[in-house]
Amino acid sequence: MDQKLNNAFTLFLSLLVEAMPFLLLGVLFSGVLLLFIDERRLIAKLPKNPMLGALVGSFIGFLFPVCECGNVPVARRLLMQGVSAPVAIGFLLAAPTINPIVIWATWTAFRDQPEIVVLRIVFSLIIATIVGWMFSVQTNLRPLLQPAIALAIKQPEPEGRVLARRESEGSELLRSGTFLLGSQPGQMLRLDASVLQATLVATPPAQSQIKRLSLLLENTVQELRELGAVLIVGSAIAAAIQVLVPREVILNLGAGPVSSVAAMMLLSGLVSICSTVDSFFALSFASMFTSGSLLAFLVFGPMIDLKGVGLLLSIFKPRAVIYLFVVAAQLTFLLTLFINLYVS
Amino acid sequence: MNLRTQTFLLPWLDVLAIASWGILLLKYWLNGKLGLLIHPDYFWLVTLTALVMLTICGLQVRELRRRRSCASRVAHLTLFPPGLSSSILLLTALLGLVFTPHIFTSQIALQRGVTDTVAMTRAQPQAFRSSRPPEERTLVDWVRMLNVYPEPDEYTGQKVNVQGFVIHPPELPPNLLMLSRFVITCCAADAYPVGLPVKLDQTSKAYPSDSWLEVQGQMITENLAGKRQLTIQASSIRQITEPKNPYDY
Repeated sequence: MDQKLNNAFTLFLSLLVEAMPFLLLGVLFSGVLLLFIDERRLIAKLPKNPMLGALVGSFIGFLFPVCECGNVPVARRLLMQGVSAPVAIGFLLAAPTINPIVIWATWTAFRDQPEIVVLRIVFSLIIATIVGWMFSVQTNLRPLLQPAIALAIKQPEPEGRVLARRESEGSELLRSGTFLLGSQPGQMLRLDASVLQATLVATPPAQSQIKRLSLLLENTVQELRELGAVLIVGSAIAAAIQVLVPREVILNLGAGPVSSVAAMMLLSGLVSICSTVDSFFALSFASMFTSGSLLAFLVFGPMIDLKGVGLLLSIFKPRAVIYLFVVAAQLTFLLTLFINLYVS
Repeated sequence: MNLRTQTFLLPWLDVLAIASWGILLLKYWLNGKLGLLIHPDYFWLVTLTALVMLTICGLQVRELRRRRSCASRVAHLTLFPPGLSSSILLLTALLGLVFTPHIFTSQIALQRGVTDTVAMTRAQPQAFRSSRPPEERTLVDWVRMLNVYPEPDEYTGQKVNVQGFVIHPPELPPNLLMLSRFVITCCAADAYPVGLPVKLDQTSKAYPSDSWLEVQGQMITENLAGKRQLTIQASSIRQITEPKNPYDY
């Protein structure tokens, strides 16, 4: 038992120590870029063709290197500024995977299996494009959106008012972001990356430098704390599974082409580990699970997981979230099963 | 939790949590334990992260002190209830500061399957050093070579001088033990054991699991579980202390 605890602790710490730099990098990079990219000019250049739009949307992650916790506020902002559904959905599903930091982290973890790195990108692109394209059939997206977002699309309000709107629907426990305490007790204003940016833009130039830095700092500390905690919980789960679950169970599960994919998809949905660092989590299973199942974890996890569903519900109605979930899950399953059966 | 605690204490808890991680990473770097956890290629990245984290904390402390006079500014309601995330971070960092990590034991090696000796290396032999005289090859060099030229008879009679730790796989006969090393490519999470069986004149129980040995002898071919397997016939065995960097790359 003593040995097991020691092994689990070493595994746990090594996951954390290797992942921390990438987490920090992701948080800093996305925070800084949010300040410098002019979205309106970007949106004007987006293609109108749904298929192409979804594909281009999938690549926007290169400009906003966010993980799956940061992409929802950005996607919401894009939608509200009139970006078409395929672009927004493509971005939502692919941005957590297709961005330089995540690709670097995946490469770090799977240096000796480069096919995992490449296929992770390719599969995420395929799935994001197909799902985005499917959503283009629904020309009027509003019935699928939360009322507040739908309203914002219909009649654009002045930026600051839309963004700092009062949160009244639903539980706030599962909503990520910063909240400003209002002047009345119990009143809360939700602050997320979009509000951060709006505040930054609205800040008078006289005191802007200090205030900008201070907001960026605030944002960094918060995200680091929040995502760091999720990373710790995820690493603890990975270490515990490695050490506590009997070898026969893991091997039986991990060797089957179908069971391994199903198990890894389930795990990715539950663990909710951030996409910048999930490749290290997957790595700890690399010797026992099929390549297809590792890919399933790496492709599906960033798209939809327990933590992400809470965030997605701040944009979409439950019906739309279920569509997204089912289609993405099926496509991931088919693609990675194909790898297990016919390639590796 | 009242408003006052939320707005005044929580920001400081955040700073403390991030600072504790900066200190933990720095400590591992300074006391050389980083090598137990990750591949040396990433030492600089971790050290840099520690410094950036501490800088962020320094800036945030200045910010919080400057702001103390103004009334409530920002409070956070996030995925976890307020304060929980930072507590998790802080607690884990403290655990890391108090308990020292140790290298994996043979239990992990058995869990990850050291038994199938030959098929085991995932790493491509990037630094393939076949030109080395046999007695200078490390255990990992031998296994990599075996991956490229798997015929055990090729090596018969060659001199061996290798170091590693002891594993007792249940399926080995009583006069054999497995001498192993962990190889890592990224961090301890992907550590996988490579090893060769060692044939002794006595029972292998004399050498407990996880003890480190230097084995000299020569290569022979044994029939183990119906498979021809390159094996070290030991002529001398010396107990050694765990090397400073127990992994191989």
